[in-house]
Amino acid sequence: MTTRALLAFTLVALLAGIYLFVNAPQALPDAAVTSGKKLSARDVLEICAAENATVRELYTKNIVEPGLKAGLKFDEKWREPTVDAGPLPALFLRETAKSLAKGPTRLGLFLGSDAPISKANQFTGLQAEAFQQMRRDRAPRHFFMDDVKANTAMFPDVAVAKACVDCHNRHVDTPKRDWKVGDLMGATTWTLAASNLSLTEALDMIAALRNGFRDTYVAYIERTKKFSSPPEIGKKWPSEGYYLPDPDSFMEEAERRMSRTTLDRLLSHR
Amino acid sequence: MKHSGPRNKVLHDSDSTIPVSLESAPPRTSTPRPPAVQPAGRRRRTGVVLGLVLAGAALGFLLFPGQEHLTAPGTMNTGHEQVACANCHQRAPGTVRQQLQADARYVLGMREAPADFGLRGVSNDDCLACHERPFDRHPVFRFTEPRFAEARKALAPHHCQSCHREHSGARVTVQAGYCVNCHATLEMKNDPLNIPHVELVSQGRWLTCLGCHDFHGNHVMDSRSRVADGVAARQIQKYFEGGVSPYPPQLRKPARQERADRDN
Repeated sequence: MTTRALLAFTLVALLAGIYLFVNAPQALPDAAVTSGKKLSARDVLEICAAENATVRELYTKNIVEPGLKAGLKFDEKWREPTVDAGPLPALFLRETAKSLAKGPTRLGLFLGSDAPISKANQFTGLQAEAFQQMRRDRAPRHFFMDDVKANTAMFPDVAVAKACVDCHNRHVDTPKRDWKVGDLMGATTWTLAASNLSLTEALDMIAALRNGFRDTYVAYIERTKKFSSPPEIGKKWPSEGYYLPDPDSFMEEAERRMSRTTLDRLLSHR
Repeated sequence: MKHSGPRNKVLHDSDSTIPVSLESAPPRTSTPRPPAVQPAGRRRRTGVVLGLVLAGAALGFLLFPGQEHLTAPGTMNTGHEQVACANCHQRAPGTVRQQLQADARYVLGMREAPADFGLRGVSNDDCLACHERPFDRHPVFRFTEPRFAEARKALAPHHCQSCHREHSGARVTVQAGYCVNCHATLEMKNDPLNIPHVELVSQGRWLTCLGCHDFHGNHVMDSRSRVADGVAARQIQKYFEGGVSPYPPQLRKPARQERADRDN
């Protein structure tokens, strides 16, 4: 009987071994492991932050600043049906972050400051400490958030246009009224719940970020269609009058500005 | 053949415990051997087979489509009564064999991440497939920012399920007053309230928050200037427990009736 039990056990173990380890079906991809050339989370976050900075500058300097002169408005409550306005640059970023959160990218984007207009964006804890260090050298800061297992990076957010400082200085809730162009106003915080990414995953992430920019701009253009006096949407930019570029034109210009730097960074990791 | 031990050693058969001698074994007679299987053993075996058949039938019945309510861990939450199980409980990728192989490899350290078996875990994505709203005041992803570490520890607001535990027969499964986790330093420069927000905060009147601000901002509500005009805490508690909404009925974006895959 003992011999029989041993035989039965051996047979079952053998069958289980074949069932479990002989690769007749294709093995499921291991989400935690990437093959081929890998980029660190730090590299990918730096590429994403550079792309974001380029688009924010494009939106601020080529849409908001000349748009204000042409009669367009930009407001915190731009999504309200009664407000004929577009998103402020900070809200453009917030919208992009929402779009990112919809996808499977595991990429998070946040904007904050030590002197924000909304208290909800006040840095505390690790971010406050990192931002104090950033104030000294304006260098990015990288750290790891243990509870959500995310690589985190903070990048300086500098006032690139007069529209930024004017709006912040005269806002009724601002805690600081002497911002100047070139000041470090805050920082973007990026989180990525992965240590390494394959080149394909990195490209997917960059594509998701660009989709986020597009989604946000499309939402703005859709909103303008309900304005009491809608701007003309096409190939022209607000510097030429009461116009807005269509999403393809906006993204084409954004990609023209972003792509070379991004490609150089990707190639440098080969 | 040389024997090293006593030649008349008595051996015991482990089953029948009949003494056996090597030399003086009595010649076999017509005495009948006991049957290999006792009637009691046969009955036991029949019982086991019958039990297995019944268990299989019961399992088959429970797994049959339409019987999910019998295996659900509790009553569906308010508003989810008509939601099909498969709307949230989606099949995990791969075949059963692929999943078992992946998990066996994970247990043996041959793979870094385990694979879901059968159904994949329900996540925020499954909730947002019906409840995603562009104007959400408190979207879950925002709470993954580093500065919400304490709030995550206290409330885990970065998971929908932390406040909306499904199969609870309720709407909200956390106690009102949770605003304290993030808004304890709240102050407003141009406060429209008859009792300023800063005063409400200093008095710890956290049950008044939801009187004027629904958490996700999905109800169309006018701003109020008197705290007393807000929805009473008692009504909010009933609403949390699954009762009628005390907020204005107009919604900015009602939930989808069928999930929309978010990454498409």
